[in-house]
Amino acid sequence: MSETPLFKVTIDNITIEVPAGTTILNAARKIGGDVAPPAMCYYSKLEGSGGKCRTCLVEVSKGSEKDPRPMPKLVASCRTTVMDGMEVKNITSPKVVDARASIVEFLLLNHPLDCPICDQAGECHLQDLSYEHGKDGTRYEFQRRTFKKHDLGKYIQLHMTRCILCYRCVFAADQLSNKRVHGILDRGDHSEIATFIEKNLDNDFIGNVIDVCPVGALTDKTFRFKNRVWFLKPMDAHRDCPTCSGKVTLWNRGEEVFRVTARKDEWGEVEEWICNDCRFEKKHASDWVIEGPRMIDRHSVIAQGHYAGNVGQTIPNETINKVLHGRSPRLLMDIHSVSEVNQPNIDLSSIQGPAHSNNFNSNKD
Amino acid sequence: MAKATQLNTMGRKLLLEKAHVEGIRYFDVYRREGGYRSVEKALKTMTQEEIVEEVKKSGLRGRGGAGFPAGMKWSFIAKPEGVPRHLVCNADESEPGTFKDRYLMEFIPHLLIEGLIVASYALGSHATYIYIRGEYAWIPDILEQAIAEAKANGFLGKNILGTGFDCEIYVQRGAGAYICGEETALIESLEGKRGNPRIKPPFPAIKGAWGRPTVVNNVETLAAVVPIINEGGEEYAKIGVGKSTGTKLISACGNINKPGVYEIDMTISVEEFIYSDEYCGGIANGKRLKACIPGGSSVPILPANLLLKTAKGETRYMNYESLSDGGFATGSMMGSGGFIVLDEDQCVVRNTYSLARFYRHESCGQCSPCREGTGWMEKLLLRLEKGEGKISDIDLLWDIQSKIEGNTICPLGDAAAWPVAAAIRHFRDEFEWHVTHAAEAQTRNYGLAHYADPIHVPV
Repeated sequence: MSETPLFKVTIDNITIEVPAGTTILNAARKIGGDVAPPAMCYYSKLEGSGGKCRTCLVEVSKGSEKDPRPMPKLVASCRTTVMDGMEVKNITSPKVVDARASIVEFLLLNHPLDCPICDQAGECHLQDLSYEHGKDGTRYEFQRRTFKKHDLGKYIQLHMTRCILCYRCVFAADQLSNKRVHGILDRGDHSEIATFIEKNLDNDFIGNVIDVCPVGALTDKTFRFKNRVWFLKPMDAHRDCPTCSGKVTLWNRGEEVFRVTARKDEWGEVEEWICNDCRFEKKHASDWVIEGPRMIDRHSVIAQGHYAGNVGQTIPNETINKVLHGRSPRLLMDIHSVSEVNQPNIDLSSIQGPAHSNNFNSNKD
Repeated sequence: MAKATQLNTMGRKLLLEKAHVEGIRYFDVYRREGGYRSVEKALKTMTQEEIVEEVKKSGLRGRGGAGFPAGMKWSFIAKPEGVPRHLVCNADESEPGTFKDRYLMEFIPHLLIEGLIVASYALGSHATYIYIRGEYAWIPDILEQAIAEAKANGFLGKNILGTGFDCEIYVQRGAGAYICGEETALIESLEGKRGNPRIKPPFPAIKGAWGRPTVVNNVETLAAVVPIINEGGEEYAKIGVGKSTGTKLISACGNINKPGVYEIDMTISVEEFIYSDEYCGGIANGKRLKACIPGGSSVPILPANLLLKTAKGETRYMNYESLSDGGFATGSMMGSGGFIVLDEDQCVVRNTYSLARFYRHESCGQCSPCREGTGWMEKLLLRLEKGEGKISDIDLLWDIQSKIEGNTICPLGDAAAWPVAAAIRHFRDEFEWHVTHAAEAQTRNYGLAHYADPIHVPV
């Protein structure tokens, strides 16, 4: 066996050596940070995935050392392999930035933007993508598409309106289970994920389609509307499972296990597939051996819970001196005393029924 | 055979030369008229490389629309040891306005079969497929009959003409999807899967049907192999002009006196093609020419003035180079040869809407720009057509099409974007009129306006 030759590739002016056969996207991920293009449909663990969403488009400004011609069109970095001496522009290319913004617009065109009631909110790749590359308004003035509802059984909830047709779940079902019963029906803008004739998705590993779904199209029915992900505390845990590795992330609030997912790496990809039993049926802390807190990207909204530090113990730094270059303010008003919003004397637990604005209205009598 | 009688006697004919002969559909007549000579010549006296070389010399360009040199395509096919190769004939002729392949297959099916045998031999394909669009429901029978006749006469099957070359041709019907005319989607569909285009590379020449090296060629391209082998590539290349060699079938339709399939040798002007009695016979009902889509629905529409003359003021000819003279700014494309003529009573906004509706309907939905963008364009165009649009919609359409073009997996995205772009580029006044005179636009057409006025050519 001869060793795979190393190719030199320059992405956004950063040069890296990668084995031949590596895609531009994976080379960029080795560099990391902003250089790595976003990917909505590519999934390194799913064979054949990628190339569809077009968010990872990059400009190849130099094909290779041998053939330095630039590529005529933007290419999907997830499905284009590097050549020796290739030069790629991602965020340094205005063409790419422009194209990506338009792809985001296309992806959001028919998306319901129902994040406030979507279980995926907080860990949704489309949400992240929209914040980073999207515009703050839409130019679409037509009714967004809807679909007839399909029931996928007791574990998996399908919201077709949120789907971006990345095909990840189709590949996952195809490659993880013996007989795939769901796929894409119809074509064009009315194509949809569905089982052909109302069928349960009940394969042992089918729950993984929830984890591979980049949006809220496939969510966990056992966790549905139970909690926002950023209120939960992700913990690495394992159990002795006869079907899978048993290595999972538990999402707890206090001692209560709200949901179980596979462990995801920094690109949001599952490290090891887990079985339905671990995912849906083991919802007691006693089922699991806790390893410790799951490290979450500090930029993620999930990290806002500060579960890894001293919860509620950190006091924000006073910044007045810093922004005023050491001068002290002429007038300092405490917003709490002015607005009277903060009323520590009102104890929520002693109010009958849900709290109402009347409970905080000091002028009521 | 009604259409065949319309064929003119001027100009050089290679494909439709014998189309009018009674019974040419059947083997005996076809053979009597000199059919299957190319199979005898190729299989008995030529090597595979020589045939590919001959096709290269002929300068034959793919007749499906892209115009890629056929000989070069053939030379790309990978030849790994022990792996079968396939030739697939793309008979999924679905481009609106194009019906030349249908004509060939219906009237002279043996010409296609003959070309297929020669090409199969050149490429080493022992199992060759004809992928035909589902809507041509009656043609598979014609083709299968032709295949059976050829087989009965020793031109197909085992040990063809005693040369030791085996070849079978299978006819596979599509299920009526435009996208299956895209070669990788066609291969997926042929394999029995959903007809989604594949992401290239790998190209079919390396990994095509069932992962094997595959060449996909249009019906007309394969039929053209017959005269190339019979007369030699160099002789073939003498017909036509520049890189537009040989003859081309044009399916003319729209507001003309004589719609039909015509074989041209690419030296005649567009004006002659539309107005001469040999071909389209002028605009129907004495109307005036407003616009034309010269190469099938995906290519840019041109107003009358830019159709007949290039921006430089030169006569525009019916060939690859001249039709695309001026690029997309002032030119169009030869495309598949679907020649759609619009007279002064046609509404370009409505025409563009109906094309946009077609592409929205036919998008496979795999990649986001095409899936979402085509639907958006259709909705905007419908709004404009109904007089409910805004001036800003025109700029928005322009922006959307520019974001689809070049950013999709397959050329359907481009094909959906180009007609919209060209319509706005050349007929912007008409679009604006649909907004500024919304009520009037519902009762009458914009008419010819200035679209046939001579173009000022800066000297």
